[in-house]
Amino acid sequence: MPARTKISLSIVLLASLLIGLSCGEALAQSRTKIRYALGDVISVDDLPLLIAVERAKARGVDVEITAFKSEEIATQAVINGQADVGQGTPYAALQKVSIPIRFFYQLFALQFFPIVNKEFYKSWKDLDGQEVVVHARGSGTEAILNLIAKEQGIKYKHMSYVPGSEVRALGLLKGNIKATILDSTNKNYVMKEAPDKFLILPLGQVKASDEALFATREFLEKNQAAIAVFLEELIKITRAINANPNNVLDERKKLGLLKDLPAKLEDEVLPFYQEAVKNGIFPNDGGGERAAKNDLEFFLLSGQLKGENLKVEDFWHLAPLKAALAKVGN
Amino acid sequence: MPRGSRIARRRIVWQLISFALVFGCWEVAGRWPISAAFPPFSQTLLAMLRMIADGSLPNAYLSTVQPLVIGVVLCGIAGIGFGVGMGLSRAVEWFTLPIFIILQAAPMAAIIPMITYVYGIGLTAKVLAVVFLAAPVIVMNSYKGIRNTNPSLIQMCRAFLGTRSQEVVKIILPHAAALVFTGLRLGLAMGFIGVVIAELLITPTGIGDLITYHGSVADYPEMFAAVASIILVAAVTIHGLERLERRLFPPEVRGS
Repeated sequence: MPARTKISLSIVLLASLLIGLSCGEALAQSRTKIRYALGDVISVDDLPLLIAVERAKARGVDVEITAFKSEEIATQAVINGQADVGQGTPYAALQKVSIPIRFFYQLFALQFFPIVNKEFYKSWKDLDGQEVVVHARGSGTEAILNLIAKEQGIKYKHMSYVPGSEVRALGLLKGNIKATILDSTNKNYVMKEAPDKFLILPLGQVKASDEALFATREFLEKNQAAIAVFLEELIKITRAINANPNNVLDERKKLGLLKDLPAKLEDEVLPFYQEAVKNGIFPNDGGGERAAKNDLEFFLLSGQLKGENLKVEDFWHLAPLKAALAKVGN
Repeated sequence: MPRGSRIARRRIVWQLISFALVFGCWEVAGRWPISAAFPPFSQTLLAMLRMIADGSLPNAYLSTVQPLVIGVVLCGIAGIGFGVGMGLSRAVEWFTLPIFIILQAAPMAAIIPMITYVYGIGLTAKVLAVVFLAAPVIVMNSYKGIRNTNPSLIQMCRAFLGTRSQEVVKIILPHAAALVFTGLRLGLAMGFIGVVIAELLITPTGIGDLITYHGSVADYPEMFAAVASIILVAAVTIHGLERLERRLFPPEVRGS
C-alpha cells in the first residue's frame, strides 16, 4: 500500500474515532438521571412505576430507584438533596420545612379494608366503645377509621398501634386483634386463610393519595423535559392498566420485571390489579387538582396538616402534569 | 480556698464550657441550617419544655420504664447468678460462656425485630430486647469479678482451713461485688438502648412512640427533644449509679 494511501486511511480512521467518541459523549450528555427515593421495598404494587421507568429509559431518562426503609427516610433524602423525586404523602413535612417541595403526580389513591372478627362484630355500630388497631399515630389508617367513626356517629374505646399490615393480619388470624384495617394483599391473605371468620366493613368514599410523587420546585423547573417524559410514561401505563389489568402482566413479562417474585405472590398480581382498577385507585389523569383537594381535606383530618384555608398551590405544582397531559391527551 | 475545692470548681467550669460548646455548635448548625429538618438547640429545648408541660413526655416515660425495669431486674437476678456460676464452676463456664460472647458480639438492631416472630409485639418482646442487650454485660462482669479474685486471699482462706462455702461467701463474693455492680450499671445503660430500639422497631410505645409520631408529622423539634430526653435520662441515671458505686466501693475496697 503506497505511503500516501496509508496516511489518508489513518486520517479517516482517526476522524471516525473522534466523531464516534464525541457522538457517544453527546448521547451520554443528552441522557438525564432522576434519583428516585421509594420509602418501601419494591413490590407488586410498584409495577406501573417500574414499567414507566423502563419506558422512560428507552426515551433517554434514567430513573434510578433507591428503596429506603420508610417514607420518612425517603422524604429526608429529598429534603437534603440526595434524591430528586420522592414517593409518599409527607404533607406535614412539606408544610413545615423551609424548602419549597411540591407534589406533582398521584400514583394511586388509598385502598384499605376495615376488617373485623365476625364472632365479636358485625357492623360499624358494634365498634362503638371497642378497641381498634391501626398502623401508627398520625397515619392514614388512623385517619380513615376516625373519618368513618365521625360518619357513623361512633367512638372507639381505644386505638392501638401495630405497624405493618402483615403484622396486623397475623394478629387477626391468631386472635390477638379483633378489628383493624389492612391493605389489599393482606386482606386477601386473611380472607383466604380463614374465609368464614372475618368480615370486611364498607368503607365509603376515601379518595386521598396513598402514594404521590414529590420533588423540590427548583428540580421540577430545571428538569421539565425529563419529568415530562417520566410523567407521560406513567400516565400511559396507568391508562393501559385501567383499560385492561392484564396489561400489567404482559408488560412485566416483556420487560422482565420483578423476576425474583416468590411463586405464591405470582398468582396475586392480577387479582390485585383487577381489584385496584375496580376501586378506581389509579387515576387516568395523574390526580392533579382534584387529588390535591381530596388530600388537603383528608390529611387535615388526620392531623398531618394544620391550619385553615390551605391552598393547593402551596402543596402541589401542577404545571408538569398539565404539560404531560397536553402531550398524551386529557 | 482549699486545693480540693479549687480543683472541683475548675472541673465544673470546664464541664460547663464543654456543654456550652456542644449546644452552641448545635444551635449554629440548626440556624445555618445544615438541613431544613434539623432544628436548633433552642427550639428543641422549648419543645422539650412544652412536652413536659403537656404531660406527653412524663407519660411516655411511664410506659418506657416498664420493660426497662423488668428487663434489668431479671438480668440482675439471673445474670449475676449465671456470672457467679460461670466464675465458680468450669462446667457452667464451658456450657454458658459461648452464648454470652456471641450475644455480646451480635448486631442487636437486626435481631430484635426477630423477637416478634416468636413473642409477638407485646411487653414480653420488649422485655426480651432489654434482656438481650443487658444480660451479656452483667453476666460477663460478674464472671470476671469472680475469676479475678486475688489468689493470695483465697490461699489465705485455705491456709486458715476455711471451707469452700466460706471461701465463696467471705472472700470471692465481696471481692467481686464492685465488678458486679459495674456490670449492673453498664447493663442498665445497654437496657436503655434495648428499650428504645424495641420501641422503635417492635411497636411504637412510650418514648419510641414520641420519636416515631413527631417524625411522621414533621414536628422535628419535638422529635429531637424526645431523643435528647432519653439521652439525658440515661446519662443522669448512669452517672448517679456511678457515684453510688464510688461511694459503696471506694478504690481501697476495689483494690483489696
